[in-house]
Amino acid sequence: MNETAFKNVKSLPSSHLLGTGTPMCAGCGGLEALHEIYDVLGENSVFVNAAGCMTLLAVYPFTPFRGSWLYTAMASAPAGAQGIRDALDILQQKGEIGPEEDMQVVALTGDGAAYGMGLSATSGAIERKLDFLYICYDNEGYGNTGQQYSGATPHGAKTATSLGLSGFAGYKKPLFDIWAAHRPAYVATVIGAEPLDLARKIEKAKALKGPRLIIALSPCPTGWDFDPKESVNIGKLAVKTGVWPLKEYLDGRVVHTKLPPRRLPVERYLETQGRFRHLFQPRRQEALLAEIQQRVDGYWEGVES
Amino acid sequence: MKRRLLTGNGAAAWAARLANVDYIPAFPITPQTEIIESLADWIDSGQMPGRLVTLESEHSMLTAAGAAATTGVRVFSATSSQGLLYAMEMLYTVSGWRAPFVLVNVSRGLSAPITLEPDHNDILAARDSGFLQIHCATCQEVLDSVLLAYRLGEDERVRLPVLVNMDGFYLSFTREPVEIPKIEQVAEFLPPFQVGEIRFRASAPESQAVAVLGGGPYSYFRYETHLAARNAIQVYAELADEFEQAFGRRHEAVECYRCEEAEYLFVMIGSFATKAKAAVNSLREAGWSVGLVRPRLLRPFPDTEIRRLLAGRRAVAVIDQNISFGAGGVLHGEIAAALYGQPDAPPVLASFIGGLGGRDIPAEEFYQIAKVIRDAAEQGETPPPRLLYTGTELRETRKLQAIARVERAGLGGEA
Amino acid sequence: MYRIRFHGRGGQGMKTASRILGTAFFIEGFEVQDAPRYGAERRGAPIFAFVRAAREPIQERGIIRQADLVVVADDTLVPVPAAGVLAGCDAQTVLLINSHQPTEVWKERLNLSGPVLTLPAHEEVADRAELPYVGAACAGAAARLSGVIGLASLEQAIGEELGHLGDQVVAVNRERASRTYEMLVEQAGLVKGERAITAEDWQAPDWIELPFEEADVSAPAIHAGLTSEALKTGSWRTMRPLVDYDRCNRCWWVCSTFCPDGAIRVDEEKYPRIDYDHCKGCLICVAQCPPHAISAVAEHEVQSEEAVS
Repeated sequence: MNETAFKNVKSLPSSHLLGTGTPMCAGCGGLEALHEIYDVLGENSVFVNAAGCMTLLAVYPFTPFRGSWLYTAMASAPAGAQGIRDALDILQQKGEIGPEEDMQVVALTGDGAAYGMGLSATSGAIERKLDFLYICYDNEGYGNTGQQYSGATPHGAKTATSLGLSGFAGYKKPLFDIWAAHRPAYVATVIGAEPLDLARKIEKAKALKGPRLIIALSPCPTGWDFDPKESVNIGKLAVKTGVWPLKEYLDGRVVHTKLPPRRLPVERYLETQGRFRHLFQPRRQEALLAEIQQRVDGYWEGVES
Repeated sequence: MKRRLLTGNGAAAWAARLANVDYIPAFPITPQTEIIESLADWIDSGQMPGRLVTLESEHSMLTAAGAAATTGVRVFSATSSQGLLYAMEMLYTVSGWRAPFVLVNVSRGLSAPITLEPDHNDILAARDSGFLQIHCATCQEVLDSVLLAYRLGEDERVRLPVLVNMDGFYLSFTREPVEIPKIEQVAEFLPPFQVGEIRFRASAPESQAVAVLGGGPYSYFRYETHLAARNAIQVYAELADEFEQAFGRRHEAVECYRCEEAEYLFVMIGSFATKAKAAVNSLREAGWSVGLVRPRLLRPFPDTEIRRLLAGRRAVAVIDQNISFGAGGVLHGEIAAALYGQPDAPPVLASFIGGLGGRDIPAEEFYQIAKVIRDAAEQGETPPPRLLYTGTELRETRKLQAIARVERAGLGGEA
Repeated sequence: MYRIRFHGRGGQGMKTASRILGTAFFIEGFEVQDAPRYGAERRGAPIFAFVRAAREPIQERGIIRQADLVVVADDTLVPVPAAGVLAGCDAQTVLLINSHQPTEVWKERLNLSGPVLTLPAHEEVADRAELPYVGAACAGAAARLSGVIGLASLEQAIGEELGHLGDQVVAVNRERASRTYEMLVEQAGLVKGERAITAEDWQAPDWIELPFEEADVSAPAIHAGLTSEALKTGSWRTMRPLVDYDRCNRCWWVCSTFCPDGAIRVDEEKYPRIDYDHCKGCLICVAQCPPHAISAVAEHEVQSEEAVS
């Protein structure tokens, strides 16, 4: 898998497949990631969607997809993918459709479904070696209901259900590790702000068979409280500060695909977002800031050693 | 045709096999498990084509079932009780996809307290889900109803999933003579699934189960589902004729057993209705003018037929093997609604609740019910709802409560 | 209509017995209904299965309260109340007990108004849970007592029900079933299946109005611990572990720790004491005792010795 069509940013697709006109918020990091993914994946795909922000991608009679789409429910998008994948296989085995009618089956869910309610369905699908792509747009909270904390919310973040001075008391669940522990075909983290890394990973995933799972950190102007124009900057900072490691799991190994040469202080990322403002104002919460920095440092020590 | 002894579970599995199903998403639960075990065995040993996949929950099982049906294959699945409830979100969801397939439910009482034996609260919880419902009283009916259900659900005037219900233990584990039709004969009655325009193909982009904003379009889609379900009354009537021609057995939407000119009627669904038939036979021999009306089709609700069958009777006893807490028997309420305002409605429509959690309804209770409604008709007054529960049973329960260290001071009227 | 119940222990093949008899009736042209009765019970626990057979379609369902024939595969179940062997037995019920004890002993012991027969259907085995082919033997006996099932139909039924287990199994089961079938030649047709069910006269059920009771009382909650000890699961046991206290080295922990049911306590002298009210007879203690101080004896033998003494 050394040959990539995406040698540099100039080779990224210049015309885009995902349609305009969706009701996603202006500056949505999830939609940005999705359209970049869709460009590589192509229209020969059926998206099986779980309850979340992207439920509203298709609102009758409008759809941005050139290919197909099925809305299921919050907990069971991977099971919907199972039903479609199996049915397409059966129809081909019976000779009722030719291989040209086949499609990539893609589960599309937010972090609420991926980290919580749908984790059992995902675990089951991986265990059954389902040939599908799973895309989680991770905006670190139940965004569609007003950004309450979820299993993906980072420590210290203010959400609609963690309004106190210390923000969210829990820690972001290591979903990448949980998925990778199932030993699927492929797991990767991506972010729309790093389109080349993203395109190469989707290219790789597309060529593989079996369960392939992608987590896209999705800067969320509405839920994270920042100016929509900062969406990509914040995404880049997430990578540069080491908060969002870009990595992939393949053949039993985890490889970091973009090692930040000199990691910027985490504060640079945190200070861009209203959800972390209480860490700085009315006065700096040094202990909490230090803890967050330490956790990031601790992660990268494990990687770099 | 071959007649042999089969359990209700065996009959359901045979029906799926004869229906040439492509896909069986599965999840084990007592007392349904034998259905998927049989199918798994037949598929593994090459006795039938098809693919069986065990999902990690009934919620996922129903999602996969609906998704496969919307892709255009014939789907079968089975569950029971808590499993049906765990899948309930998806029952309501997939019916809106207008994806026809057949789900067999093996009725079992609901938790809490959790139990093993049947009543109908599980299946009635799915009453408003958009699944059509056929209720079986014999193992033969289980087999026949699954075949009918595919025709019914796949009919272009309907296009809805169908639940076929049988009682746990009383049918699921009980063998009875069942005629197994030849697969060629079934193929003639039940041609391959024609998925129509709603399916997933690379050449034809399709967005299914799409969200709507606003009550206007929402009401349209939901009411269309209702109209499709209502169409199923007429479609079922046609299919009953066709089925009889093909297989020689007639399954009316509402079975009418010795009820011509009967002054008194029992109304009930499910396998306990055959016990009512036995009671009707004994009562008839003893000179009573009694019959049984048994809805097989519960969704759509065959209200016109029920009105016709109940008209002019002196008294009717509805025996519900379910309980809607705070209201009473579900079937009783539905029958009453169907009869309201009809000039020749029976003056007495009494409610009895019995058979909860598999509690037996012995012959003498049916006799007594007949007596109660006859007396009520003579007095011109409908009796209050009656739970079939005896002093002996309460005394037995009191013994259990004593072991559970229930304070005697808290106990009400001692039996 | 014939209404027949088979009583045995989990593992003794009562479902098989009911299926063989059901199929044999069916071959003879009867309408049939047969079913096992499962609960939460396991191997060794009392279970039963039943068969209804009639010339017309059968509308009755569920358990048979008053049977025309009750067949008991394991005589140690007769005195176990939870087994319900004698439930509904009346003058029209034939009771057939698989037992090596004489018929007269059972007649005297039970004092029933209906006929009591015994059938030494098997060579004695130590572990009754392993009682081989007793299902087929019971079915053969019941077939003969009905008087309407020919030997050929019985043998065909065994072939249909057990064919998947191979010819050898079918042959042995046929041999056992035909043996009991022949043993009861004198009693052919003793079971009539003529019990009349009539609505001419019936006893009104003692229906009551269920009173409201507060949730403290009426929720399914047990307000105490250890109440399961009221259940005498010792009745499941077909083999009994016996401690030879001369050989016991008072290790004080092996048998007691490994007993899944916690039915072995250690006394002050560090000797194990087995609670036979609850010991299910799994024999882990026998297998694990380091000095082999625990041995297994057949429960039915201990029980008959106890009955004598």
